[in-house]
Amino acid sequence: MLEIKNLSVSYGGLRALTDVSLTVGEKQFVTVVGPNGAGKTTLFKTISGVVKPVSGTISFMGRDLLAMSASDRAHLGIAHVPEGRQVFKTLTVRENLEMGAYPKSGRENWTRTLDRIHTLFPILAERAQQMAGTLSGGEQQMVAIGRGLACAPKLLMLDEPSMGLAPAVTDTIFERVSQIHKDGVTVLLVEQRVAEALELSDNGYVLETGHMVLEGPYQTLLADDRVRKSYLGLTE
Amino acid sequence: MDIEVLIENVLNALTAGITIGCIYGLMCIGLGLIFGIMKVVNFAQGELLMLGMFASLYLVTGGGVLAFLGPYIGPFVGAMLAGPIIFIVGAFLHKFLIGRVSGLRTAGSIDDGHFGQLIVTLGISLILQNGGMIVFGSTPVTVRTPLSSSAFQVGPIFGDATIFLNKAKLIACAVAIVTAIALYFLLEFTRIGKALRAAADNPTAATYMGIDVDKYYRMAFGLGSGITAIAGGLMATYLSFGSFIGFDYVIIMYSGVVLGGIGSIMGAFWGGLTVGFVQQFSALILPPQLQNAAIFIVFLAIVMLRPQGLFGRSAERA
Repeated sequence: MLEIKNLSVSYGGLRALTDVSLTVGEKQFVTVVGPNGAGKTTLFKTISGVVKPVSGTISFMGRDLLAMSASDRAHLGIAHVPEGRQVFKTLTVRENLEMGAYPKSGRENWTRTLDRIHTLFPILAERAQQMAGTLSGGEQQMVAIGRGLACAPKLLMLDEPSMGLAPAVTDTIFERVSQIHKDGVTVLLVEQRVAEALELSDNGYVLETGHMVLEGPYQTLLADDRVRKSYLGLTE
Repeated sequence: MDIEVLIENVLNALTAGITIGCIYGLMCIGLGLIFGIMKVVNFAQGELLMLGMFASLYLVTGGGVLAFLGPYIGPFVGAMLAGPIIFIVGAFLHKFLIGRVSGLRTAGSIDDGHFGQLIVTLGISLILQNGGMIVFGSTPVTVRTPLSSSAFQVGPIFGDATIFLNKAKLIACAVAIVTAIALYFLLEFTRIGKALRAAADNPTAATYMGIDVDKYYRMAFGLGSGITAIAGGLMATYLSFGSFIGFDYVIIMYSGVVLGGIGSIMGAFWGGLTVGFVQQFSALILPPQLQNAAIFIVFLAIVMLRPQGLFGRSAERA
């Protein structure tokens, strides 16, 4: 579904990603893990088109993404739930979801997806008329994920949904993400909470200082010594 | 002073303040819209007002296409039509000049493009002022309507105290209010309006939603230009103007926008209303040369007491 080949990205002379390749298959759950500054967010921004690569290719369902403008890419069914939530603070919760449904696919399926979002996150129905900026961090994350789902996406990209949240809230979020995946949405997740993230996924990638150092199904990654030591804190 | 005369003066200042204030309010919304959505400080806003005045003038006088409407309806239809015309002018200014120093192109750069915007909008302002003098001539003109020299009389209310409502200003005020309400509904309840607000709130996230931010910024600049131009067309019915008139009003626009609360689009209307009100009221006690000074004294007082403006939110915590 999503295929990235030999992608390299530079920020003002600094290499952020080097020769990164990644594949996400239909209905798969793929996780990219790695430490801070590894280039995970840059990878997402490049897929969304906010950052332009130096070289490499990105294709989505057979279309060359690099030939399209950033805003056109969302209309293909790619939903990007950005790092740090980035909800529209001055818009109400409902208006945030409506903006998520800006692409045609979102408008056509609006009543159905809104129901689904409210089933996943009942609090969003309760807070519908409240300014999104006044919500707690966890609720804002729910708005951000709901906003992503509102376009009835084929691919949902989640950038560190656990960032800055209490562990209990994170558990809820992970549980809902897993639910969304079971409902048939392809998920690409970036996380620092490695154990939980890998557990959910079919396939995992480890990104370090701009290089993909490891990839494979989650059992393989969890069995890898480096992953066990650096990310899971297991030493035996 | 005779008490009846005093009451008459106060009542007339009150009504003049409200009518003029509503027109100023509309004028301020245009600037507030551009700043609120694009974060561009537009020094050429006064010249867009001036272009609105001349657009209306050429539509309704002489051989203009609206001349057949006559001097009663024509000037107001002309003012409203100045809106879409200057919308197009604004959209072109954005496409070829302002878009190059604003929006996603400069987001995250060291000054967010503000230096470039300052030079570009100031340059547009100067070119339009002086170019306007070449094209439109240097003789002050006005959109003549018999309505500007006739008035409704209300009263006498108290003794001989009577309120005189200038017909041209009253109609202009009504058009201004209707336009402002229409814009409010556009921004608040339509898909376009919500997308404009989303693009203002967080342009990057808006891009992720598939919103073409540059296109919406162009629309915001066009709308802001058109709204101010409508106010210009309305003012053209009761004052005489030349190509340099924008400078007098850009200061009023900025005070209105800051008073209303920077970033609050509808707050700009109330800010403009306040400015118009203070200006008319100060005429009771101050000579006309000091009217603008009165505006700034009230301006300073309000900003000292409420730095975020009448309707602005205090600075958001991150």
